[in-house]
Amino acid sequence: MRKNKLAMSGRHDLTGWAFLSVASLMIVWMNFYPMIKAFHLAMQTGTGARMRYAGLINFQRILVDPTFKETLGTTFLYLIIQVPIMLIFALILASMLNSPTLKCKGLFRTAIFLPCATSLVSYAVIFRQLFALDGYINVVLVRLGMLEAGYQWLSYTWSARLVIIIALLWRWTGYNMVFYLAGLQNIENSIYEAARIDGANALQQLTKITIPLLKPIILLTAIMSTNGTLQLFDESFNLTNGGPANSTMTMSHYIYRTSFQLSSDLGYSTAMAFVIFVLVAVLALIQMKVGDKR
Amino acid sequence: MKKTMKNLKSFLRYVFLITVSFFSVFPLYWMAISATNKNVDVIRGTLMPGTYLVENFKTLIDQQNLGGALVNSFRNSIVLTVISLLICSLAGYGFEIYHSKAKDRFMGVLLLAMMIPFAAIMIPLFTMFANMKLLNTTIGFILPTIATPFLIMLFRQSARSFPRDIIEAARIDGLNELQIFFRMFIPTMKSTYAAAMTITFMAAWNNFLWPRIIMLSNDAVTMPMLVSNIIQGYVTDNGMLMLAVLITTIPTVIIFFILQKNFAEGITGAVK
Amino acid sequence: MKKTLAIVLAIVMSASLAACGGAPPAAPADDTPNVEAAPIAEAPQAEVVEEGGTITVWCWDPAFNLYSMEEAAKVYKQINPNFEIDIVETPWDMIQTRITTAATANQLDTLPDIFLCQDNAFQKNVINYPEVFTDLTDSGINFNDFAPAKVEYSVINGRNFGVPFDNGTVINCLRTDVLEEAGYTIADFTDITWDTFIEQGKDILTKTGKPLSSTIAREPDLLMIMLQSTGASLFNTDGSVNIVNNDELKAVLTTLMELTTSGVNIEVNNWDEYITSFVNGSVAGTINGCWILGSVQTAQDQSGLWAVTNIPKLNTPGATNYSNNGGSSWAVSSSSQNKDLAIDFLANTFAGSVPFYETILPSAGALATYLPAGNSSVYEQPQEFFKGQKIFSDITAFAGRTPSNITGAYYYEARDAVGVAMNQIIGGADMETALKEAEDTVIFAMN
Repeated sequence: MRKNKLAMSGRHDLTGWAFLSVASLMIVWMNFYPMIKAFHLAMQTGTGARMRYAGLINFQRILVDPTFKETLGTTFLYLIIQVPIMLIFALILASMLNSPTLKCKGLFRTAIFLPCATSLVSYAVIFRQLFALDGYINVVLVRLGMLEAGYQWLSYTWSARLVIIIALLWRWTGYNMVFYLAGLQNIENSIYEAARIDGANALQQLTKITIPLLKPIILLTAIMSTNGTLQLFDESFNLTNGGPANSTMTMSHYIYRTSFQLSSDLGYSTAMAFVIFVLVAVLALIQMKVGDKR
Repeated sequence: MKKTMKNLKSFLRYVFLITVSFFSVFPLYWMAISATNKNVDVIRGTLMPGTYLVENFKTLIDQQNLGGALVNSFRNSIVLTVISLLICSLAGYGFEIYHSKAKDRFMGVLLLAMMIPFAAIMIPLFTMFANMKLLNTTIGFILPTIATPFLIMLFRQSARSFPRDIIEAARIDGLNELQIFFRMFIPTMKSTYAAAMTITFMAAWNNFLWPRIIMLSNDAVTMPMLVSNIIQGYVTDNGMLMLAVLITTIPTVIIFFILQKNFAEGITGAVK
Repeated sequence: MKKTLAIVLAIVMSASLAACGGAPPAAPADDTPNVEAAPIAEAPQAEVVEEGGTITVWCWDPAFNLYSMEEAAKVYKQINPNFEIDIVETPWDMIQTRITTAATANQLDTLPDIFLCQDNAFQKNVINYPEVFTDLTDSGINFNDFAPAKVEYSVINGRNFGVPFDNGTVINCLRTDVLEEAGYTIADFTDITWDTFIEQGKDILTKTGKPLSSTIAREPDLLMIMLQSTGASLFNTDGSVNIVNNDELKAVLTTLMELTTSGVNIEVNNWDEYITSFVNGSVAGTINGCWILGSVQTAQDQSGLWAVTNIPKLNTPGATNYSNNGGSSWAVSSSSQNKDLAIDFLANTFAGSVPFYETILPSAGALATYLPAGNSSVYEQPQEFFKGQKIFSDITAFAGRTPSNITGAYYYEARDAVGVAMNQIIGGADMETALKEAEDTVIFAMN
């Protein structure tokens, strides 16, 4: 009898592996296999038909490459500033939209989600125009008396970085909000009622009820956003083209430049891509360790 | 006194949400307006609807293979979405319903694939696809992203809320494991599928890095490639550009509109 | 006789195009098919090639490069009826990505027979991926027919790898109405130095409130234009970096600073804004490659107000009033199955047919660097938008006087580094220190 059950679970186990086999094989074939090939490439130097084995030279070069260090710093700056603001903002919006007394929820939800469905090309064009010298942002700020004349947003390091952060917030806050909104629908409204009777204010409700209960989904969005930001390319490439003076360039953008725009060094670019991979993996691991504590 | 405070708070909340919504929608409004204006007016930043929509459309179909690109983009994205949803949900179901320690660890390994920058594996992938003679094909387009750890994860989390009693009952009724998946799981998880469909379709539709290196012939051009063609000239016709971008955006927006109610519920399923 | 006919027809064409003024420049292709075809059929230099086949071409810009390629195919079909062409619209950065990918993945047969290559990237690609290119030196194409500075972009170690095409000669476009308002004419801005330009520019700024030019802030385009006009490059002839000890570069930087601080040049955020600045009339001119003409003519309401002249020069020894910015050349891929056909096609069109250039100039504004075409009467046509000025022959003349520029494999690295240095200097950094840092960055990239 006991033996029978074990046999069952053995078959059970095999069925499970069968279910996940197709997708897993595809991931191994389309991601891990090329990654091994890529690692081979990262150990080479030269171009085209004249690639030759170079050992760890590319990785040593990363350590002394000032541009890589600068892009690493910039990327982490985006990560540290943008991701928390975005997630908190998304959480606040989700809590507001979850209020039972609010009208036109669907309309607000759709409007705030829309930016991430907008094609990248159009939003890059629009953002560049918005922040142009005689663009709407400057016009409004001048009218409000906050500026005397138009400001060159994309010409100075910090304002250009600010524009990129604003663009990222604009594009992805709604996307994350929808995840939270969905999570919030799971929390019984009676918990909030009870808290309100106990005299908890809005902030306390957020930190004592909402955040703890949403923890798994916050973890998921945090990992996804970290991954997305460390691999950020679009905004750097399309909005500022890395400028002024490389100060808004992300790591992925620099990899693209060394691969295809500068005198290409694909071995070196691939080595840098591996550095990003390790960074993302380590950060995801830390987030899971911190976030998954029960 | 308390009531006025409450009204004021409620009023402020609407003001805030309307402001946020305005900023979210404004660029789309601008895009639509620009599509109806001629180049010089778009450059001058007009916010009024123009009368140049038909003209822009004529220039667009004259210069670019719009019909072909739309057909390609729809075919690639739909085929990818359908197959991807099927195999990833099978995997997610397998990971959760036949849960074991070994599978958990394996999932952790698969998750690493999500973190590989595409730039790193692009060259090896290109070699593989050129050798398999899959350049310029839909299969070539879909294979690299056909299985993603994120989708598997999404389905695994949602399978967690799938009642085990149903499975047991179905087994007693004589359904085999695959039948249980198709007849019980898929219908119950409709909303998760809706969410996954939106995400996958959006990603496939906007995919640009991969098609730009494997779609080498005129007949294989996709919508994002068409848009990038327009920007390359010495003189960009911005009215036409905005129209092309508008046409590129509409399908994803429509799909979101149709699925958005399910979408929210679908993620809910995943969280439980 | 036949040639004359072609010219007459071309002139009629351009006149009729001019007559319909506001027509969008995008779709002239359909109006022209029978103009150039017949006469060239029996052109004297044409040799009959029996070999047929399909040539695949990658290039970008439908209104310009694709259109020119289509016209060239029509011309060549008269010589070789078995010839077919398949033009795939491919933006430059996509072509670059695919060259790199195909060469690294050892999949050269994925490349087309002919592709267009940016001039600034030409040497880099030949040096990095020689296996991709075909040596055209002994192909029978006469490279002396092209402007020397232009040919230089696709020459590596004395061998020719590209057939020059579009013209990047730099022009100074100015609004004559604004100049007149302040008491100047276009002659006051011809053959001048930057000092005079700035001085007169200040005067015009005071009287009319309009700056004379705009540049994209922090982008080194104008810097590179000015540097090439002095005859200097960022590299020495032996390929070593020439930044720290480059007196011309220092003179350029000083002039640029003065130009911007005086208000004669305003800085804008990006390309869209740059175009807007002169289309809107908020600046009275612009300095750029002659391909900017297409954008200048966007504002039809300013027709008749513009004039074209050469650019100011610096005070360094050997400096000129001429420079180059942008442009591209055709390359024949080494993996081509129809290499001879591809070369014969280019030799009989882009590198051998004046009537061909006479067709593409009026209908696409495609200005060549093919010198025999410059003598054609089509190039002598007065242009209404420019108050009847014969801008095309003027620009062709400029092209012949442009000093050449050393690009090499690390042009973009050097350009980027100097761009960073320029920003630091504008931000108040010491010039010597900034240039030293730039030179180190380039040397780092080269190792």
